[in-house]
Amino acid sequence: MAEDCDKPEKSAENGGNDRLASTGRRGVLMLGAVAASSVVTIRPALASTAASVLNCKIPIPDPSHGGKYIAQDGKLVAPGTPGAVQPAPRPLTGDEARKMINGMSPPGIDPNARQAYVNYIRRLQHGTSGFTCYASLQMPGR
Amino acid sequence: MRYAADPPAMRLAVALDELVALHHRPSGVTHLLAPPAPELLDALAEGPADPAELLVRLSRLYDLPDAAAEAIAARMEELVLAGLAWRA
Repeated sequence: MAEDCDKPEKSAENGGNDRLASTGRRGVLMLGAVAASSVVTIRPALASTAASVLNCKIPIPDPSHGGKYIAQDGKLVAPGTPGAVQPAPRPLTGDEARKMINGMSPPGIDPNARQAYVNYIRRLQHGTSGFTCYASLQMPGR
Repeated sequence: MRYAADPPAMRLAVALDELVALHHRPSGVTHLLAPPAPELLDALAEGPADPAELLVRLSRLYDLPDAAAEAIAARMEELVLAGLAWRA
């Protein structure tokens, strides 16, 4: 413990932002071969069951905002706001949400509302109904 | 194909030597990224772009010895698959 106190705080500061700041010095950036991979996702345990991901539900909007319309950018707005779309007629399953993110419109969902719904799903925050479902969809291979 | 990503404020990034641990706040999911993935996400902060435009943006900051739009597209598809970017 005493050792920790003796260390200058600088050592912690240096580790963090050098790489992303990239101001000034011009570095070399390799883009890699087409087949190379540059992203690894750390999978939380909640994604361990594929079935739960496909069948979980995302209400649009969240029940606590029932009746609100969804603007094209995914924000919730007052009913009847021009350019906004009506709430989804039923909660979407995780599988349907994934298809919509990939450009498809499930049966019973207005294709013209797809982008607004997708943007709403993207904006889901922790604590909002459907968030865990959306987070699970982010796992590669799902 | 044009790509878009959430603004940088939606991400928490920690450099780990050559890698970046990146927490995506909207999804609550954490990823480990190797170059050039973090740089591509940063380049999208200016707005949606196709691979050719991303090449231009990266070349303003970096030397790109193996510059190829196909490689950019491949890297972007990985970011789409991970949920860090999307086709705009």
